[in-house]
Amino acid sequence: MISNKKAARDPEGDVIHRDLVKSHFPQAKSVRVGKLLRFNVEASDSLEARDLVRRMCDELRIYNPAAHDCQIGMGRLIG
Amino acid sequence: MTESAQLAVLGLTAEEVEYARRFLRREPTEVEWAIMDAEWSEHCSYKSSKRLLRSLPTTGKNVLVGPGYDAGVIDIGGGFVASMHIESHNHPSAVDPYGGSATGIGGVLRDILSIGTRPIALVDVLRFGNITESAHSQWLFRNVVRGIADYGNCVGVPTVAGEVEFDESFERNCLVDVACLGVGRKKDLILAEAKESGDIIVIAGGSTGRDGIRGATFASRNLAKNADSERSSVQVPDPFMKKLLLDSILEALETGEIKGMKDLGGGGLSSALSEIASKGGTGIEIELRLLSLREPDITPAEMMISESQERMLLVLDEVKCKRTLKILRKYEVPYATIGKVTDDGLLTVKNGGEVVASLPAGFLAEAPLVDRREGTLPAKCGVAVEAHAPRDLSRTLLDMLSSINIGSRRWIYEQYDHEVGIRTVLKPGRADSAVLRLPNGKFMSVKADGNSRATGLDPYNGAAGCVAEACRNVVAVGAEPIAVIDHLQFGDPGDPAVYRDFAEAVRGIGDYCRGIGLPIVGGKVSFYNQDELTIKPIKPSPVALVAGLIESREHITGQNLKSDEDEILLIGKTRLELGGSEYYDRIRWGGPGKVPVADPETDRRTNLAILGLIKGGLARSVHDCSKGGLGVAIAEICIPARIGARIELKNAPREAMNAASLLFAETHGRFVVSVRPEAAKDARKLLDRAKVPNAWVGTTGGPTLVMSLGGKRLVRLDVEEIAKAWESGIPHALGEAA
Amino acid sequence: MNIGVIRFPGSNCDLDVVSALSATKCLAPKLVWHESPDIENFDAVVLPGGFSFGDYLRAGAIAARSPSIARIKRLAERGTPVLGICNGFQILVEAGLLPGSLLRNSGLKFVCRWVTVKVENTHTPLTRSLKMGQLLRLPIAHNEGRLFLPDEELASLRKQRRVVLRYVDDSGKLSASGNPNGSRESIAGICNEDGNVVGMMPHPERAADPIISPDGSTDGMAIFRSLATLSL
Repeated sequence: MISNKKAARDPEGDVIHRDLVKSHFPQAKSVRVGKLLRFNVEASDSLEARDLVRRMCDELRIYNPAAHDCQIGMGRLIG
Repeated sequence: MTESAQLAVLGLTAEEVEYARRFLRREPTEVEWAIMDAEWSEHCSYKSSKRLLRSLPTTGKNVLVGPGYDAGVIDIGGGFVASMHIESHNHPSAVDPYGGSATGIGGVLRDILSIGTRPIALVDVLRFGNITESAHSQWLFRNVVRGIADYGNCVGVPTVAGEVEFDESFERNCLVDVACLGVGRKKDLILAEAKESGDIIVIAGGSTGRDGIRGATFASRNLAKNADSERSSVQVPDPFMKKLLLDSILEALETGEIKGMKDLGGGGLSSALSEIASKGGTGIEIELRLLSLREPDITPAEMMISESQERMLLVLDEVKCKRTLKILRKYEVPYATIGKVTDDGLLTVKNGGEVVASLPAGFLAEAPLVDRREGTLPAKCGVAVEAHAPRDLSRTLLDMLSSINIGSRRWIYEQYDHEVGIRTVLKPGRADSAVLRLPNGKFMSVKADGNSRATGLDPYNGAAGCVAEACRNVVAVGAEPIAVIDHLQFGDPGDPAVYRDFAEAVRGIGDYCRGIGLPIVGGKVSFYNQDELTIKPIKPSPVALVAGLIESREHITGQNLKSDEDEILLIGKTRLELGGSEYYDRIRWGGPGKVPVADPETDRRTNLAILGLIKGGLARSVHDCSKGGLGVAIAEICIPARIGARIELKNAPREAMNAASLLFAETHGRFVVSVRPEAAKDARKLLDRAKVPNAWVGTTGGPTLVMSLGGKRLVRLDVEEIAKAWESGIPHALGEAA
Repeated sequence: MNIGVIRFPGSNCDLDVVSALSATKCLAPKLVWHESPDIENFDAVVLPGGFSFGDYLRAGAIAARSPSIARIKRLAERGTPVLGICNGFQILVEAGLLPGSLLRNSGLKFVCRWVTVKVENTHTPLTRSLKMGQLLRLPIAHNEGRLFLPDEELASLRKQRRVVLRYVDDSGKLSASGNPNGSRESIAGICNEDGNVVGMMPHPERAADPIISPDGSTDGMAIFRSLATLSL
């Protein structure tokens, strides 16, 4: 998941929260926008898989460390 | 933190620290040091350049606001004014090309808005490394263009013109300049001055956070080795907020309630507050607790220097401000009243009632100037030595046309909405400059030009040449040049060789503008641009943007051939001037070359004559000769309508030179004009009377371009081949289909 | 005929549309803020181009939840002409007043250029005085103009003759080179079942004055004049 650094602004998330979500669902306190990339990798264990993806993101500049945070997770998303 | 450690964090020099202590006769507080650091940064104070800049001609009969304010303003008649400004975001763009370029647009739009005019056009001026060979430069290029596109398109201001130059020296320090043009009514002009004690200071727009901290100082120091770790120096663009600010402030301007306005850009609050107080001859008192914050733990010093985007400072009457605030609320633009104007001449900053800074506004706004050493010029490099002409000039011409420095820029401008606002009469790619319609029935033409290769070899003529070229481009569409803004981009001013280049460039521009009668109404200086790996400064990169006025729509003239039964005239004398030329670069000529000399007297005469041809209805199309010389210029005009030509250059006014030099020399002051056969004689008579060298060089028509010299065939190409080569440059470099 | 041109936060082309409608000299356009109840009083409404709400989340997604939409729906039910241009089209699609979705251009870049479109339906208020098969020169400027509909929806759209405009190449033929964004079946504009709600990606307001058209086209004016014939 690539998103703007925590300390940086997220205008898109702010506007979605303010102009769309807040008035209908006040329980939502904030929204942050990010880009999700799903990597399918061959690896011997989850640690190696995570490490592989981390290196991909760093070396190939899949995110810009000057502006973005990059979080790597494993598993399923609930539909 | 110990004092020396504290000061080491700042960018202030030992002299500045000493000056501050002496002037104030006490030790400044932490917040006060931060304020001085921001306001006295090179970017905000022009401390290294002010002395030299004072020599530039800045007045003219239509100039209403010259340099020193947010934008230059010229009177365009009928109660209307046009504003112009240029900004750069070089360092942020080198680290985050998308965000850096986008926020650069945000910055320049704010300047045009803060003077009370509506932004109507953007011009982007870019410099990158060689995208044919460098993946890094490709990454920068793609993302800068995307950043400009996303931001400009979202705010609804068309990007109508631009310029891009590729050269190795920009590999790690790309240059991203954005200029903006605005229009408004003279009576609505707002200056960045806080004049009346008792008025309130309102900050509207985004909240204040840590972004861009050290931005102004960031620009004033070279990019650190670990650029990626510069945590808060990149700013996140928010074009939606900008659009809301634009709409709300333009609407609020109509209430007449806004008394002063300034955008918060480089140097943040420090810079904006000290400047409006100093210009107004007043003082300002603010309470930081009233500022809308994004990060709760931000310190007072950080609040004063933060460069969070999309913030506008408004000076309103204490009582007569209701309508403005109501409009801000309608557009859901957040705002906060943070202080008031006083009459004590001080910038007083309180935090929870406690005074954390109190500095005289004038003292802040007038940074101590720095004396820079100017190195001596190297031995004259302008020896005009000719390279041998290659055997296959057709091949050479195709090669030139497919150069990324010459070919079509369609890859770029099709990503920009250049039509929004329905003012764009001449669109990108159709003529030498863009033409926009104005609310008073007239038309404005804008063009920006730079030439780092030439300026690197000969800063005086190279810099003057930028103005000369921009003027030509504006004249070619039928406009009379009325004002220029410049952007001077150089390396480290502490390096005497760099400073010498800067000084020569300023002299070159000044002399040329004085000679041709063009006022400089604004501009910017950007130092410390250098390749962080090799520590080599970038090639000196002054850029000039010229605006011209066209009185009547009949005068608007395109650059390309329209009919296959016309005659072609070549105007201006060609000299053996290939220093810094695209040709010498293509054939990898390592020898010296003379940089084209920009002579304002000759150009003044030639430009007037061209305008005479246009106004007399004698010119069908006009194209100026610049990069690639007359060979490329003639080839280019054949492309859109696919009309070829038969050219005989034996009578072309010129110095002695071989065929290749004649085709590709980049001498200033030359144009290629197509005329109806029945108009040719009158056209030549007009030029002769004006003492402008000219020659009939050929006729239009057919599917091929044939160029000869004294009967000897130089070039023979199908117009289709020419078009294909010309379209291929940038897409091929990026690995895309043309 | 009173026409409301709705400005959402972020709309860019509202003033352009007002200007072009005024130039017809027979339509009375008025700029109206999206929250205004006056929207329901117009004889026709236009949702102009731009980046409403910054195009955040999806183009038109947030504007589609604006209080104006309920009013526009009521107008549409009454048979009032509703025109969505570019972002306006995106908003109508997100609001369910028109079918399908407008996705990112297949070239993945914003495209600003003049194109040729063919008139495929002359029963809408915007095309009633044009001819079937007529070619129009109009500019486009968008990042998300690729119309997508699932097969069954596309089939019923075709059957009900609800395709209004299609992109064609310079020779007037449907082709890949004439399709600037990968839209299904080169569709550039569609209408609802009653034919009074029309959405199109090209910008007619930018082709209403010959001086700003690269080839002097005034096809945009023809579209607006079409609308004007309704009030006669």
